[in-house]
Amino acid sequence: MKHLKTFAAALALVATPLAAQDFSEGSTAKSWNLYAEVPATFEAEVVDILCTVAGDCANQCAEGRQLGLVRSADNVLVYPNKNSQSSFNGAAYDLHPYCGKMVDVDGLLIEDEDIPGATNIYLVQKIKDAGAAEWAKANKWTKVWAAKHPEAKGKGPWFRRDPRVNAIIADTGHLGQGLSAEEAYEITR
Amino acid sequence: MTLKTSIAAAAMALAAAPAFAAEGERVQITGEIIDTWCYFSGVMGGPDAVVGSAHHTCALWCSAGGIPVGLLGDDGEVYMVLKINGDDQSASGDTQLTLASHEIVADGMLYKRDGLNYLVVEAVVEDRGITNLNHEDYGVVPGFAIPKPKK
Repeated sequence: MKHLKTFAAALALVATPLAAQDFSEGSTAKSWNLYAEVPATFEAEVVDILCTVAGDCANQCAEGRQLGLVRSADNVLVYPNKNSQSSFNGAAYDLHPYCGKMVDVDGLLIEDEDIPGATNIYLVQKIKDAGAAEWAKANKWTKVWAAKHPEAKGKGPWFRRDPRVNAIIADTGHLGQGLSAEEAYEITR
Repeated sequence: MTLKTSIAAAAMALAAAPAFAAEGERVQITGEIIDTWCYFSGVMGGPDAVVGSAHHTCALWCSAGGIPVGLLGDDGEVYMVLKINGDDQSASGDTQLTLASHEIVADGMLYKRDGLNYLVVEAVVEDRGITNLNHEDYGVVPGFAIPKPKK
């Protein structure tokens, strides 16, 4: 009977709806006023997603691969889509120094049941080694970009100066339909 | 080999493998390469407005900025792209950048974990370019995507 109760408790834990879990206690995450955001702070292991999900591990934790957070509390793989900056920046470069390590993170979880797949999506605002005292802001992306593109130094946000993006736009326009199509559109607006 | 060494060998093999790698499923999916943050978060509006030609410039910025790209399938599901045509640079990589907003036919392996679909695209079978011309309905999203002409 005792074993049966233990088994039932374990089963209940596994069966607990993930969305019902609350990781907001202790979070100091700033709101982005998003419809489905929930503040969340938790301990996790930073993992290479391609390795963890698909077993493609030969190049794991290499720069430029997407990184995830396997939450200690429930083993759920959380996908950090965004860092704390407001200019179209992901989180991989902020997480990269921690790949393979245990960390604490604070940020916003996106859980929107009206959009297929909008679950366990995360905006990471702060990160630190698990148990450490000092947080680091997840805002490294623009500095990494600037170091990679010294030739693009200048005024204005990085995304207006990015050489790869600008080359594509110069070729096919902001709508991707060609420059003459864009000209025609511009006349109408 | 003794029972003890067999168990030890099995344990070592388990430790060397990724802890949760799942069985993949061979799939062929038709859909649009999108930027997932704008789609999931609603930060720039509803799902219909953050795809296609309306959102093309933003999709380029987000892809270059390392935001994960996804394949929005004809079935309405989002497939997070981890690798494409052998390129594992899924954070700001060149291959995914050149396909921003394009409708493609992708052949590869599908993995599922914790409510998300993950896709390893082994081959882009067909690249149809940008086919969703929704700027005719929504303009450009965000509105500042096309800079104002300098006076």
